Amino acid sequence: MKRHVTVNGRSGTIEVDGSRLRYVREDGVAIEGEFSIEGSSVLLNGRSYRVSKGTGKEIWVNGLRLSMDVFDPRDLRPGQGSSANHGRQEIAASMPGKVIRILVAAGDAVEEGQGLVVVEAMKMQNEMKSPKAGRVAEVRTRPDATVGAGEILVVVE
Amino acid sequence: MFRKVLVANRGEIAVRVVRALRELGIASVATYSDADRGSLAVRLADEAAHVGPSPSSESYLRIDRIIETAKRHGAEAIHPGYGFLSENAEFAEACASADIVFIGPPADAIRKLGSKTAARQLAIAAGAPVVPGTEHALSGWEEARAAAQSLGYPVLLKASAGGGGKGMRRVDGEAELQSALRDAASEAGRAFGNSEVYVEKLVDEPRHIEIQILGDQHGNLIHLGERECSTQRRHQKVIEECPSPLMASHPDLRERMGQAALRVARAAGYTNAGTVEFLVDGEANFYFLEVNTRLQVEHPVTELVTGLDLVEWQLKIAAGEPLTLRQEAIEWRGSAIECRIYAEDPDNEFMPAPGTIMHLSEPSGPGIRLDSGIFEGWNVPLEYDPLLAKLAAWGPTRETAIRRLDRALAEYVLTGVRNNIAFFREVLADAEFRSGRLSTSFLERFFKRRKKTEAEPEAEAAAALVLALQSKGSGSPLLRNVSRWLDSGREELLR
Repeated sequence: MKRHVTVNGRSGTIEVDGSRLRYVREDGVAIEGEFSIEGSSVLLNGRSYRVSKGTGKEIWVNGLRLSMDVFDPRDLRPGQGSSANHGRQEIAASMPGKVIRILVAAGDAVEEGQGLVVVEAMKMQNEMKSPKAGRVAEVRTRPDATVGAGEILVVVE
Repeated sequence: MFRKVLVANRGEIAVRVVRALRELGIASVATYSDADRGSLAVRLADEAAHVGPSPSSESYLRIDRIIETAKRHGAEAIHPGYGFLSENAEFAEACASADIVFIGPPADAIRKLGSKTAARQLAIAAGAPVVPGTEHALSGWEEARAAAQSLGYPVLLKASAGGGGKGMRRVDGEAELQSALRDAASEAGRAFGNSEVYVEKLVDEPRHIEIQILGDQHGNLIHLGERECSTQRRHQKVIEECPSPLMASHPDLRERMGQAALRVARAAGYTNAGTVEFLVDGEANFYFLEVNTRLQVEHPVTELVTGLDLVEWQLKIAAGEPLTLRQEAIEWRGSAIECRIYAEDPDNEFMPAPGTIMHLSEPSGPGIRLDSGIFEGWNVPLEYDPLLAKLAAWGPTRETAIRRLDRALAEYVLTGVRNNIAFFREVLADAEFRSGRLSTSFLERFFKRRKKTEAEPEAEAAAALVLALQSKGSGSPLLRNVSRWLDSGREELLR
């Protein structure tokens, strides 16, 4: 069995044959050896690892979190195609929370790093900042709104 | 002693109090908001009562509902934990008029010490050293500007009703003052329902050292030594320890700080457990900061070193029992360190990270104490403070305690919500932390040299193996999101 792997954005491959594996990263690092797996316990060349799945692509190994994707090369589709954004930047909530203050209005000129919206979660207030200098094209939220992670709050162009 | 006590709190501290109650043979009543129906405290308590919707202003902060619930369940006393109503004099009074014992100091002492400005005045009168600053809330921008100018920058804006760094801002020059004043007042208003702010001279590179006190209703008042809480991020404590490493080079400092703390407590007519916070400068001069009129988050380190149970003493004192501990008999044995496990992402500016706990394997073994409010499947709500658990280690020396804490952190598996467990291992390995030369700016310096721990390629291979086998459909059991208990239950039913 052979699978493509991406770990924290870096790609590689893993080949599994019986109780042997070969893991090769794009940077040339290669790991090869005998493994044994029992529940969350993996032994690889006699060394012990604890592997637990988190949310989404998160996977935790011995206390460290990795973002990992494993897929069959036969299912490989062309990349998601990062569409050119024409300088438009969408500022999204980085966590679920509540909008406390909106510091700009549509049409305002903003500097890079200028605060746009203040979101509060778990009693911490966080200011969402403009990633670039430009003009506020759109404010898509309002004070006191409850927002989810990734929800777009403001568009700057 | 009481027969039944209501716990007006949530999370790990509710669990802590429920445990103490069970040990003393007292029935416990947990309280819960909508988000906390499934909480660990509810599961461990004898009884539990719904007190409102998820926002704390509609549940844990509702004095009327809490009191009515205590009445309905026949609780004779209420333990408020920390935060929420724990430092609310109105609540303490409401308890008294409903004939319920508030487990904490008298309302009058809370009022005297609750406002930081009033507490400062009281400390000055009691002869405790204080940091120069305004002794009242600022009336506005003009007064703030004049006060900051006469103190000299840098200054610190602080919420009169504050705690935990909420409503606090460092200001390095007049240009920053106006926006800092606005932010501090707004944050204070949201956190405490009181937007009053005052200004103090900033003590550079201070240590934060606090003294635990305990007083009964018969005039006995003692201190249980210090906790050093200098390891803070944005004024939020993350690691606490006892003894302070500073005590080794200043053998009389504990007693001098202890006596200053007791003078303040005596002047306020204090009873029950409380904490007097001090800033300590490079020359070991100490300045009174504030009094926390409640049980502290970090009380376990004092318990580990003194061998006392602070919650048990809180209950005994509230029930009118005399303090049988004598100051001379208090001993500090070994060293204890605690770290606060938060649902936050150290790799993304410590953003809070609510979510569901997917896998949990908790550390134990020699010298380890875990005060936790979570379990597999628990959904960490976004409405509250992101504290999940407190992990503490005791050892005969600070070095041993650090090694044990690191070992326990390595054992700790907590997935589903991002958390600071791996980050603590980095801090504990840091030479400056190990040296014990701490200050409240230690973590800022640490962040500048921090190298994020990366997984080794072998570890990546192990994780990739698990996912590859899963994609093959061999169904490794650890990858399913449901508990194995549920699975085996289902299997039983299908037999």
